[in-house]
Amino acid sequence: MLNKLLMSCIDINSPYCPCLLSQTNHCTFCSHLKGELVCDCNWSGVCILYEKQWQQKKPRWTNDADSPVRLESDTEFIIKQKIAEHTYLLEIEVLPALAQSLAKCGSFIFMRRPSDQQFYHFPVGVMKVDGNNIQVVIEGAGPKSSRLFTDGNRQVLVRGPYFNGIFGQPWIDNVDNGKILLIAGGMGQPPAVPIARKLLTNGNSVKAILAPGKIGTVFIAAELAVLGIQVQEVTSMRQFGMHALAEILADPEACPELIVSAGPDSQHYGIIAAMQAAGVNLPMAATNNTTMCCGEGICGSCERLTRNNSRVRTCKVQADFSQFIQE
Amino acid sequence: MINVVVVGGGWAGCAAALAAAKAGAQVVLLERTDLLLGTGLVGGIFRNNGRFTAAEEAIAMGGGDLFVAMDANSRHRGIHFPGHSHASFYDVTTMEPLVKKILQNYGIDVRSRTRVANVVKYRKKIQYLVNDNDEIIQGDAFVDTTGTSGPMGNCLKYGNGCAMCILRCPTFGPRVSITAKADVKEIIGKKADGSYGAMSGSCKINKDSLRPELKDQLEKEGMVVIPLPENLKKTGMLGKKACSQYAIADYAENIVLIDTGHAKLMTPFFPLDALRTIPGLERARYEDPYSGGVGNSIRYLGMAPCSHSLKVDGVDNLFCAGEKAGIMVGHTEAVVTGLLAGHNAVRCCLDMQYLELPSELAAGDFIAFIHEQMTTEEGLRLRYTFSGSVYFERMKKLELYSSQRGEVNDRVTKTNLTDIYNTCLV
Ligand SMILES: Cc1cc2nc3c(=O)[nH]c(=O)nc-3n(C[C@H](O)[C@H](O)[C@H](O)COP(=O)(O)OP(=O)(O)OC[C@H]3O[C@@H](n4cnc5c(N)ncnc54)[C@H](O)[C@@H]3O)c2cc1C
Ligand code: FES
Repeated sequence: MLNKLLMSCIDINSPYCPCLLSQTNHCTFCSHLKGELVCDCNWSGVCILYEKQWQQKKPRWTNDADSPVRLESDTEFIIKQKIAEHTYLLEIEVLPALAQSLAKCGSFIFMRRPSDQQFYHFPVGVMKVDGNNIQVVIEGAGPKSSRLFTDGNRQVLVRGPYFNGIFGQPWIDNVDNGKILLIAGGMGQPPAVPIARKLLTNGNSVKAILAPGKIGTVFIAAELAVLGIQVQEVTSMRQFGMHALAEILADPEACPELIVSAGPDSQHYGIIAAMQAAGVNLPMAATNNTTMCCGEGICGSCERLTRNNSRVRTCKVQADFSQFIQE
Repeated sequence: MINVVVVGGGWAGCAAALAAAKAGAQVVLLERTDLLLGTGLVGGIFRNNGRFTAAEEAIAMGGGDLFVAMDANSRHRGIHFPGHSHASFYDVTTMEPLVKKILQNYGIDVRSRTRVANVVKYRKKIQYLVNDNDEIIQGDAFVDTTGTSGPMGNCLKYGNGCAMCILRCPTFGPRVSITAKADVKEIIGKKADGSYGAMSGSCKINKDSLRPELKDQLEKEGMVVIPLPENLKKTGMLGKKACSQYAIADYAENIVLIDTGHAKLMTPFFPLDALRTIPGLERARYEDPYSGGVGNSIRYLGMAPCSHSLKVDGVDNLFCAGEKAGIMVGHTEAVVTGLLAGHNAVRCCLDMQYLELPSELAAGDFIAFIHEQMTTEEGLRLRYTFSGSVYFERMKKLELYSSQRGEVNDRVTKTNLTDIYNTCLV
């Protein structure tokens, strides 16, 4: 059942389905909306052709280039905390509807300066939602993210919600009373917070291994400890984190039912290698680090190839990370 | 031990499972909903016209169990209604548990709420099936009796949308064709106007919603003909029907109600407001499909190309029956093809020559005729049944039609097929 959900589009059953892809017969799910003659879908409880039929009556996807495709808030941010050089914890007040829809692990937004061109949009995972305020952590590294802070700017345009921030989301949503290992490094820490909260609501016991990663600091340890998570801090994921993982995997008593990896792809692959070395094959949920531009399954920048040779647009489509071909 | 897996618990699947069990196989019958009989849960008419002959042939061949059950569970027998003679109506509300019991008595493992979602093939053989829950179902030979109705997207694209029929796709998940999943290109039926699919031909009214006198009359006589008020006499709807045997003028001038446990109305759909202007039906409401005022399910969107033995072309261990095997309408049609497919599935496992029904028998001629017709554009726009339309005409012309049990028995004896389905092959 979960494997089936893994290959489905994260926007199904949300207000954002059917999407623009359905208009050109590029839906990732419905055979009719792929241009085929008859039904052949991987049933997920809703009929997308039907949704299209009824929702067409709502003027949602207009052809006007300026009309927003999701919710947008033109707002200001405040820097709550400087976490490291160029890395800041921001708090942003957004539309109540937008804030509400982001209160789910795996959610992310696109941000840019309101006065910048559309293509300055970059995706950011949401760390926390508190009323109408959302918190995100930004590493001002590339041309897009660093733009946000130049000239003392505090204006921001936030677009969302987007949901596909974690591969293997169905595992996180459905595991209960289980033993879970959460491994977070560097910029994987912010998305790890809502994941941890979600896991704890289902009566799971969670153990976390945290490493500073490239940004050089662990900043969620206290927060996770307060939630009741057993936290182990290591100075290097590669050197010590993986060693700790190997020990856990070797001990049948301690071995978890699910591993959640929040961090760079190199960390995800390290965990897969550790599992192979230990001869175990556990389900692994992993944060989605692919480069995204549009977030709507249109541009193709987020596409990844799987072992069975299909191309997945990862801004929308769920998949099992271990099925991707390593680049 | 030979394992036969039948997918789809409609009449065709039930018959296939039965025949395979009788021939000596260990049989699993998989059905996606919580009820067997599929569209047979809402039909009920049998033994009308040539269906009498076909049923008697099957009985003489030793595959009569299901017909005997239908006979025993009939509300009415020997009824004549426009265009049809000596019809029986089984009670659709009580038929299912009876059939389930019969199958279980034969040791068949009936698994409901099991929807096959995928097929794993190696070369030209199916290795195993995978259900919704990623569970594997293994077998030596397989029978695809998944029917052709729905699912929702098809009903929307080629009809008036999901009308909430007995197949209950939103609840149990859509129909999945085993043949299509085995990478066999399917054949698509057409409406008279050339568009794809065909609408199911009748809707069922809740009997308690009829005026009491009308209900009484219906239960006493088995059927009632009510002339349509002038303004409702339209003919446009008939072309869309699945059942050509009801596409005759009588059904445009009148409404015909048949007592099958529901009050069966011979029209694919009928706007409720209009229906309620007919005397006696002022409070009428639909029983199946629930939105019978708007539409009905779409059928014949995926049929398996197959030989006269009902083996699916291109797959060595897959058979098919019922609507899956061709543009045929009817419980009787589903049962007679189901028996053959189930029987041949066992022969497949034993490397025996497949049984083909000779053209001296109505069922044999029927299968061959449909296969021939389906190769033509014209033929794809018609529906075939022993009970009317082109095929019944042909039956009469070839003198295959008979309403005499003894005569049919003799024919079966001449073909040496008496009790063939009762013979254990293993
Ligand atoms: C409204 C209506 C009224 C009718 N009235 C009459 C009548 O009075 N007399 C008559 O002779 N004929 C009647 N017919 C026609 C007749 O019911 C059908 O032609 C015949 O019963 C078809 O049987 P079948 O077994 O081929 O298919 P179906 O009855 O369609 O059975 C297919 C079964 O397969 C199951 N299935 C599908 N996919 C899967 C899967 N992937 N895994 C597991 N299970 C699956 C379905 O749930 C279903 O139970 C009527 C049809 C309809 C729709
Ligand atoms: S980000 Fe554009 S297609 Fe995924």
